[in-house]
Order: sequence, then C-alpha cells, then structure tokens
Amino acid sequence: MLRQTFYGALLTAALGLHAGDTVKLAITGPFTGGSAPMGTSTRDGAKLAIAEINAAGGIQVGGKKMKIEVIERDDEAKNERGALIAQELAAMNDLSGVIGTVNTGVCMAGDRHLQEKGITKIICPAAGSASMTQWSKAGVKDLSIFRFAAHDGIQAAMVVEEAINRKFTKVAVIFDSTNYGVSGRDDILNQIKLQGNKLQVVAQEKFNIGDKDMTAQLLRSKAAGAQAVLIWAIGPELAAVSNGMAKIGMKAPLIGGWTLSMSNYIDNAGKNGNGTLMPQTFIEEPITPRAKAFIDGYHKTYHVDRIPSAVAAAQGYDAVLIFAAAVKQAGSTDTHKIKAALEDLKAPVKGVIATWNHPYSKWNPADVTTHEAFRREQVVMGMVQDGRVVFGNAADRARLIKEAAGTPAKPAAKPAAKTKGKTK
Amino acid sequence: MNALIIGQMAVSGALMGLVYALIAYGFQLTYATSKSINFGQGELVMVSAFFSLTLTNLGAPYWLMVPGGLLFGALLGLIVERAGVRLALEQKSEGWILLSIIIGLFFFSAAENIWGRDDRPFPTPISADPINIFGVDVTRLELSVAVGVLAIMGLVELFKRRTLLGKAFEAVSADRDAAELMGISATRTVMLSYGLSGAVAALAGILVSPITTVGPTMASALILKAFSVAVVAGLDSGFGVVVIGMALGALESLASFYLGSGWREAPGLTLLILALAVRPTGVFGKAAIRKV
Amino acid sequence: MRRILLLRGAELIVFALLGTIPLLVVNPYALGLLTLLAIYGILLIGLDVTVGYLGQVNLGHVAFLGLGAYAAGLAVTRFGLGMVPALAAALVVGLLLGALLALPALRLEGPQFALATLSFAALSTTALNELESLTGGAQGLSLERPPLFGHAITPAIFYWLCMILLALVWMVMRNLLSSQWGRAFEALRDSPIATDAMGVGTYYHKVAAFSLGSGLGGLAGGLYAFNFQYLQPQSFVYELMIILLLGVVLGGRKSLWGAFVGATVVVLLPNLLSNRLLFHLFSGAGFAVALVSGLRGLLKKTTRPFQAFAPVVAMGILAIGGFFVENTEDWRKGIFALMLFSVVVGLPEGVMGFLAIFLAKLFRMPPSALPEPSDLDVVLPPRAQGDGPMLVLADLRRHFGGVKAVDGLSMQVRAGTIHGLIGPNGSGKSTVVNVISGLYTATSGGMSLRGAELPQGSLNRVARAGVARTFQNLQLFSELTAIENVMVALKGVYKMPLPLVLLGFARLEERRAQADALALLDLIGLKDQARTKAKDLTYGAQRFLEIARALARKPDLLILDEPAAGLAHPDVIQQIEIIKRVHARGVTIILIEHHMDVVSELCDQVTVLDGGKVIAEGAPDVVKRHPKVIEAYLGTASGPAPADGAEPLPA
Repeated sequence: MLRQTFYGALLTAALGLHAGDTVKLAITGPFTGGSAPMGTSTRDGAKLAIAEINAAGGIQVGGKKMKIEVIERDDEAKNERGALIAQELAAMNDLSGVIGTVNTGVCMAGDRHLQEKGITKIICPAAGSASMTQWSKAGVKDLSIFRFAAHDGIQAAMVVEEAINRKFTKVAVIFDSTNYGVSGRDDILNQIKLQGNKLQVVAQEKFNIGDKDMTAQLLRSKAAGAQAVLIWAIGPELAAVSNGMAKIGMKAPLIGGWTLSMSNYIDNAGKNGNGTLMPQTFIEEPITPRAKAFIDGYHKTYHVDRIPSAVAAAQGYDAVLIFAAAVKQAGSTDTHKIKAALEDLKAPVKGVIATWNHPYSKWNPADVTTHEAFRREQVVMGMVQDGRVVFGNAADRARLIKEAAGTPAKPAAKPAAKTKGKTK
Repeated sequence: MNALIIGQMAVSGALMGLVYALIAYGFQLTYATSKSINFGQGELVMVSAFFSLTLTNLGAPYWLMVPGGLLFGALLGLIVERAGVRLALEQKSEGWILLSIIIGLFFFSAAENIWGRDDRPFPTPISADPINIFGVDVTRLELSVAVGVLAIMGLVELFKRRTLLGKAFEAVSADRDAAELMGISATRTVMLSYGLSGAVAALAGILVSPITTVGPTMASALILKAFSVAVVAGLDSGFGVVVIGMALGALESLASFYLGSGWREAPGLTLLILALAVRPTGVFGKAAIRKV
Repeated sequence: MRRILLLRGAELIVFALLGTIPLLVVNPYALGLLTLLAIYGILLIGLDVTVGYLGQVNLGHVAFLGLGAYAAGLAVTRFGLGMVPALAAALVVGLLLGALLALPALRLEGPQFALATLSFAALSTTALNELESLTGGAQGLSLERPPLFGHAITPAIFYWLCMILLALVWMVMRNLLSSQWGRAFEALRDSPIATDAMGVGTYYHKVAAFSLGSGLGGLAGGLYAFNFQYLQPQSFVYELMIILLLGVVLGGRKSLWGAFVGATVVVLLPNLLSNRLLFHLFSGAGFAVALVSGLRGLLKKTTRPFQAFAPVVAMGILAIGGFFVENTEDWRKGIFALMLFSVVVGLPEGVMGFLAIFLAKLFRMPPSALPEPSDLDVVLPPRAQGDGPMLVLADLRRHFGGVKAVDGLSMQVRAGTIHGLIGPNGSGKSTVVNVISGLYTATSGGMSLRGAELPQGSLNRVARAGVARTFQNLQLFSELTAIENVMVALKGVYKMPLPLVLLGFARLEERRAQADALALLDLIGLKDQARTKAKDLTYGAQRFLEIARALARKPDLLILDEPAAGLAHPDVIQQIEIIKRVHARGVTIILIEHHMDVVSELCDQVTVLDGGKVIAEGAPDVVKRHPKVIEAYLGTASGPAPADGAEPLPA
C-alpha cells in the first residue's frame, strides 16, 4: 500500500504529470548520516498517517476525496542541500505543503525560499528556538512556516524548573558543539536568569560530535562542585557522559533535552542512565489504544522492534493529521488557503500525542507561540528507569490519567510528550 | 588533587589513544608493503563491529565472536585490496586514494541499510565498573582495550619475524623489487597486508565498541585521529604509533581540561602540522636521505 | 588554429548559453542549481591547481571555502562593506592563509601533505566554531545580500555575477596554466628535485600554486555566503571535502572543463535520485555503456580484465538493485559509490580526459603547428675557450654519520674540457655530484665556479650560478611532452610579470620558447617526437632528453651523471655523438661514467675516486694503467688488466 503510494508519487513527479486529484505533500529531513534516526522516524511516522488516510479513501477536499501524494527529499542534515531542496519545492506550482526538517541550521538556510513563495511548512521535529525567532526578528507580517515540536524554550524552562524544584544550587551546563547544543545552552542560561538566578552555573563544558571520552569535562564539573548536570546534546554522546560520570564516581543527575529519551541514549547508558530526567511528549509504550495502534503499525510496517526516535515518529504522524485537517477545512489543495486554515483550525484533531484543539493562530511577529503547536502543559517530565522512560513526577501521571478518563475530547492519556530537535 | 586530576586525564586520554594507535597500525601494515593506505579504514572498523554484534546477537560466545569478527575484517580488507588498490598500484597511479574512499562510502551505505542508522550498545563480558589504581579511576573495559591493542600488535610483529610468510612480508616492505627477484610474490604479500590490516581494524572495532557504541558514524572521528597518529609517528614505526597515540590522547584530554573543551583538538593539530614541517617522515620514521 | 577556434568557440557557446538562461527560464530552482554550479566551478578550478597540477591530495580546500565565506559574511554583517569589497576580502583571505599554510606544508608530499591540510581544515572549523563572539559559532551567521552598485540583487543578477566571475577565473587560469607557470606546477609534481635543479624555484612556485588555489577557494566561499545567506562552521568539513575531491577526479584533472563537469556532477547528482524513473533510465544507460565499452576494451585488449569487468559489475548492481530497493534515497551514498567506482576504474583520466580524446578524434583537431626551430647559436651560444679552471674543489668532505662518502677531495676542471669522474661503486662519485649540484651541503671544504664561490645546499641556486646536471636515475617530468620538458628549464626567455601572464600576454613568449626548445631537441635528434610525453619515449630517448633539458639552462658547466647507463649499444654511440656536439659548443662537462670506452673516447682528463678520495688523475689512457685504479676495480694489485669485459675497466 505504502509502496504503491510512493511509486505513484515518484512516477507522477517523474513524468511531470499534474494530477489534479492528489494533495502533494513534501517530506524532508536527513534520511542518511548521523541525524538519520530522527529524520527517518519523522518520515516513517508521517507516511504511516498518510497510508491510513489514503486507505480510507483520502481527504475530503471540496466535493471529492483526494489522496495524499508524497514527495521525499533527503537533506542529509546539510544546510546547502536543505536550501536547494527548499528552492526545488518552492518552484513546484501545485505543492500543498511541506513537513519535516530535523536540523535547525537547515531551517535557517532553507525556509526563506518557502516563505517567499508562501508555501506552508510544518517544521517537525527541529526544536531549536532560532528557526521560529528568525521570523520575529525579521518582523515578517505574514508567515507560512509553522512548527510542530516542543521548542527548546519550553524544554529549557522545564529543565531549569526541575533543577530548582530538586533544591540544587550549583549546576554544570554541558552541551555539544552543534547548533542544537549551543542554542540549548543559551536557552538554559536565559531560563536560569528568568527564573531568578537560583542556580549557579559552576561549569560550562562543550564536546564535539563523535567524542567518547568526556573525562575532562566531567572532572572539571565535579571539581567545581556541580550537584546536577544540565545537558543539551544528542544520543550516543549523551550516553558517553553518563558512562563517564559513573567512571569517575560523579553522582549527579542528568537533566536535559528530550533527546535523552532516545533509545541510543537509554540503551547505551544502561544502568548509568537511571534517574536521568527530560521533557517528554510521547513514549513508545502502548498505554492507550491509540498509542498501541500507532506503535504496532510502525513496527509492522517498517519491520523494526523499536522506533529509532519515537518522539519524532509520533510528531511526524500528528503533523500529517493536522495538515490533513487543514486541507479538509480549506477545501482546497492551494497552499495559501491551507495556511489560512491552519491558523484557525476549527475541528479538534485526535492525534497520538494529544487531541489538538486550535494548535495555531494568526501569526504575530511579537509572539512566536502563534505558530507553535506545543505548550508547556503538553509536555511532562520523564525519567529513565531500568531502560524505560517513566514519569519523573507522580503528579503529572495522575493528572494525565484523570484527563484521559474524564474528558475524552481533551488529550488522549499519553504520559509524555516529547520535543526533539537535533541539529548539527 | 591537581596531580590526581592530571593523572586521571592523562590515563583516560592515553587509553583512548591506544585505539588510535591500533587503527594507525592498520595503516602502517599496508603502507609497508604497498605504500598505500585505506582511506576507508574507518568503515572497516564499523562494519566489522556491526558484524560482530550480529554474531553476538545470534548467540555466539565472546571467544567465538572475536575470531569471527577478525575473519570478517580480513575479508573486507581483501575486498578493498582487490577492488580498489591492486589496479591502481599496477598502474602506479594514485587512484587508490579515491577508490578506497569510494569503497568505504559503499560500506557505510550498506551498513546504514542493513543494520540501521542508530547507535547500539555492544555487549561485553568485561565489566565497566571503575577500579581505582593509585587514585586514578580506570574501568576494566579500558584496560581490556589496552591489553587487546598491545596483544594483537605484538602478535602481528611476532608473525612478521618468526614465520616464513611474515618474513616475506618484511622482505617486500624492505625492497619490493629485490623480493620479487627472490621469488616472493609482491601481489600476494600486499593481499596479506590488507587482510591483516582488515583484521586489525575489526579488532579495533570490537575493542572500542563497548565504550563508543556501534553505529554507522562510530569511526569517523576515530579515523582522522588514527591517520594523524600514523603520519606523525611515521608510517613505518609500530613502536611510534603506540607512543604518539597515547601522547595525542593524553594531550587532547589535558587540552580540553585546561583550554576549554571546545579547543580539545587544537593543540594536537597545531603540533601535528609543526611536527610534520620539522620531520616530514614522522617523529619515529626513518629520515630519508634524498637520493637521485 | 582550427583547434583554437573550436576550443574557444566551445567555451564561448557554453558561456553564452549559460548567460541567457535567466532570460528564458523562470524556474528559481533551476537557476539556484546553476548558480551553485558556477560557484563550485570556481571552487574546483582552485582545487585542481593542487590536486591536478601539483599532484597532491589536498584535504584543506574546504577550509578555504569556509574561511572565504566567513570573511565575506563578516565583512557585510560586522563591517558593513558592500558586495564587491566583501568578495575581494574573501579572495584575499584565501590567498594569504593559503600562503601561510603552504609554508609548513611545503616539504610534505603524499599522505603527509594530505594530513597537514586536513589538520588545517579541522583547525579552522574549530576556530570558526569557538570564536562565538565574532562568527556566531555553531548557531551560524545570517546575512543579507548587500546591493550591488545600488541595485538590489535578484537571483538572476546574482547568477550573472557568479557566471561572470567563473568566466573571468576561467580565462585567467587558462592563461596562467598554459604559461611557464603551469608547466612549472606540473614539473613540481613529477620531480621536485629536477625542477629545483633546472633553476625553477620550487618553493616559490609551490607557495604560489597553493595560495592561488586557496584564493579561488576563498572567492568561491564569498559567493557561497551570498548564495545561501546562512553560514555554519559545520558545513565545511571532511565530508564535503571528499565530495569536492571526487568531483575533480571525476571531471578530469588538469582541465578547466573537467572542473566544470565535476561541479555539474556534484551539484546535480543528488537530485538525480529524487526521481525514480530517471534513476532507472540513468542506471540502465550506465550499465549499457559500461558493458559495451568493457567488451570493446577486452576485444581490443586495451583494458585489463578487471578494468573492463568491474564497472560492468558495479553498474549492474546499480541497475538491478534499483528495482529491489524500496527507497533509493536510503541508498544514496551506496549509489554514489557505485557510480564513482565505475567512473574512476573505467575512466581513470576522468570524464573530460576521456571526452577530450574522443572529441579530438571526432573533429580531427591537430595540435597547432610548432614554430621553426631557433638558431642554435642563439639558444646555446658558442663559448669562448677560456683556459682558467672552470670548477675548483678544495678538500671537499661529505660525511653521512660515520660514513665518509667524500673524504678530502681536491680537483680542478679546466674550462672547455670533458672531465671524467670514475671509480668503483660506492667510491663517492654520486655524492660528489650531489654536493656540487647543491642537493647535499658539504660537511667541509670549498667549491668555486670561475673563481666565484659556488652556493651550497641549494639545487636552485647552483643552477642559477650556471651549473646544469642530468640524473643517473632519470628525473624527467614524465607527464610533460619532450618539448615541454625542455621549455620548463629554458633560461632567459620568460620575462613577463605575473599580472600580464594572467591577462594572456605570455603567449608572445611562448612561441619563442617553443622555437628555442625545438632547436635543442634538434640537437639531440628528438625534434620529431617533440609532442610525445616523456614517459612514452624510449629509454634511450629519455636519456638524451635529460641532456637537452639541462642545456636549456645555457650552462657553463654541465654534469652528466652516467648518461650511458643501461643504454643499448646503438644508443651509446648516439649518446657519445650528442656529448661531442655539446662539447663542440664550448660547454665544460663533468662526465660520471662506468663505460670505460665512453670515458676513453670523450674525456680530456679523468679523476678516479675510491673511498671518497682521489686515487689517480690524468689522461684516460694513463689512468687506466694506474695500479691503484686496477686494484680498486679488481680488488687485487697483481696481474694485468683483463682484455675485455664491459663493466669495470678497459675496452
């Protein structure tokens, strides 16, 4: 089924046919290389949703049902590829929208081409603040770029809040040398200031992608008396930090971005990962029927026994549902009309992460949250325990169970939401 | 306290440096016989590690998995030699540089698609709990890396000195033409060196994987450093790579401690350029007299 | 003429076509690709200077792209400069840092050079990443295109700007590379020692070549910055470097067109995979081409079996595998690898190297005719027969550790004579020659040429003082033609300053240089093979060519290091003839030789060395009978010299 759609898409694209009865949706992201686990998870999650929609006959657009046609582009996590792909997409006349991008740098380099042509894009799952704030800085009046990810601002606020709640006073900030890590550091420092300077940053340490020996950074943090490590980085290197802490006998909890929930951290850190805290939007655990259907569907379709990045996959899935809802409401495949519909989505969308009520509103340069779907309340604190992510705070769990039981129209009982964003 | 920290840094760095040294040693093996090195050596490390992981997952015990992985690495080395190096060497062209990069690229792509793009843990029976030696924390895992690296290098050196095949290896390294005149097949010796080099790369993968995890990009950072170590030590000094490898590893650790972690690699790189400018054949390499 | 017209015509047509594209095509994506093509074209032309002409694997080029990009970006964002000064800044940063890196990297070759440049690239990424206050670090640098001469820059204008710069770079580089500069770069690649010994400054040329290539990298970086308007240090890393390197090799080294083709491939290839049908068509066609050309090569026996089969297998995997793989994008790298593998194995000279041969056949383009040879009296004026000593060695010593290769040697070479230097193997002859010619520095002792102190330890300075030499183990510039080998060494012809060379005025000197070189080739009997690559000449002809090349230095003293070694008998006779002709023009010659018959026939005076010391001196016939000489050669003082036997002694 999926394969047919895919071939169909390519064939039509190849022949340059302007099939008037499909909704053309581009999915971009890094499908090869170091960021690929997130890129492919997003893509595959999104394609799962598309396959379901198409299996049901398509989206009701105006008078007829139209299927979604996928155009895939691998940006290799490279800015210049991203920019070229954006130019290519911008040059397509009948494109309805774009979903994707993992790396904030790729957003920075490419999104301007889409914005110039007013093509609707939902950034998913790049979480770096800059990919939205660039538009408020530029004072853009009318924006066609949306985001579907818990951006770093929310996450950093939660991380700092958590450290304060746990009565820490001295923390080390450790981050990787990519755009993601560095802007995460800025967000954390900014949040510490905003929340009253209750934390003293005793060490700021950086490492490069591929580094596996973190002894130097950790020894400095330990020597400075850090009680907790606030961290912004990606997968395997995070595990190296946890393992390094165990090695030098440093007993301080790791609190950081959502990437700490990726299996490449949890598996590789093993028992050294216990107690690690991170904001979450989704956990690969079939707690609700909706989540179970999604997780089983993913495993079966892609022949895996775990999702490389469950957060990315779930967000890709929900982003497609939201996009489809906008197409239906607009009653058109015209990307400008879809954008208008997204800014005022009337019907709630039942996603796998939550039920989305009016996720976006009319763009206001002074307030980026108008084009951000995630709010603080959709994100909870997760904690690693024996190779799984569980609730960091019992209160969150209780609240979500109550919500799921009590109000069906509100977010389906999902423990954690996740945000992701990895940038190179 | 301070001396302890320096000691800890130096030891941690130096142990990691031994892995650079082992991969660098793989460069030396092929350079000795053919004056070529495999620029895709990192992919050999990675693919062999994935293969060994698969063996483990299939239930092979550690003692069986290691030789299995080494054999696989040797096989890959032979593929590189046959497909990428032999023709170029026959034509006396530098094509091997590109071809070895290209073959590496193919291995990378294959690994991405066969084993996935994610990093995975590599199970090992050796404990990762730290033990304290004179105030310095070291894990058994790190020690096992050191032991493994030195053991295989010792074994290969022994092989080169004590066996007939090994002596042929030495003969071709010393003077290819003279060796050919003595009836030693240079082509087969080059094959042997690539096979050995592949096995060494595989062992590097098996040893380092429990620390770094296994993933398609696991070796990309390692390989550049190994290359540096090989060239700075001199492409003909096995002893040199161990010394330089440990020194570079320790220097990196200390640099990131004292200069700030972002500058970790800067002193090493600067020293490297300077060392080459002063001694182009490497610190431990034989200084060549220019002859015409 | 026809050839020039065709080539220039092709260039004009291509650039004219590229120039009109924005008028015809409104698709911004196509325009974006073409803009990038122009930028990469400049970048790869720069890389080709080191990779193609200098023959070194340069892994640092990507750093100059990055440094140039940041130079331009910072010029605009921090200093508020306009586009033209920003691009100039990018160019200058590339030139200067290139020269700076060339200094320590100068002595390095092969893997060492590759590593030095790689380290530089890593260092510059680190610096760009860490200097956050200046560059914005990992979070990147956003910039706007400043207006050009008051006009806002539309994509079309920017495209034209890039194309104009590419055309300029193209012209300038064509002028430079077809001049003595280009030859010197290639000579450096084939034999740095001989380049030095021919009085062409290796140091100077290597720095110049590297700096120039890096400057182009910087300029391309400036355009890159304005094209993407967002910079991150992590864009300029090893991975991109590898792609650039593959682009140059794929297109064809030492070729502007090759760089252009390489850039096209680098830019377009990733897009090819986006389209499944196109991919099937392409891989199928590739398979067919590989199959046909492989079979043809096998039948004609022009290719080895591996070279014929490997591309077929690789393209076969691609063509067939394409139908089994669910998602070609996932296999992107593997697909590139297979295609590149086929091209590198099947077309070692790159696409353009292959096409050039093919097109030359198609259009039957003969190379432009050579001029008439100059008068030999002009090229190599007859020397006045002075009678003083030409070369005086006084108590010369050269020790290698404990080995005393030359141990207190004193001798005089009279002007206008042929002076033989003989001795058994290991007697120190070659070391003497290497000390005189400047390859080694003497441990002690003095040397003077025509009464003036001879410089020590520098082949180049000795060459400039008027000494030329040949090499026992041939050191020809093997990829250059016979006439180019001679032209590289020509003294006193190239006077054009660099700026005029860049503008193409060197062509005026070229005719003269060709004529002069042809006269020298005529002297050694190779005039008819002027256009043959040195590596394709017969062994004998290569030995003769070494002499012609040395003569191009118009030397006072010519050192011939075993000119008859390994020659067949007829060639030996010709060689003797050539040396006599050279001698007749009054050139003083030192002849190191094993063939006693050659020595007897040619030399006026012979010095015999053993153990680094003079054991006999005198006329050939006298020396031959000297008991010490016989002992040194035969290892015994007794008995008469054997009657025949070519190697050691009599004839």
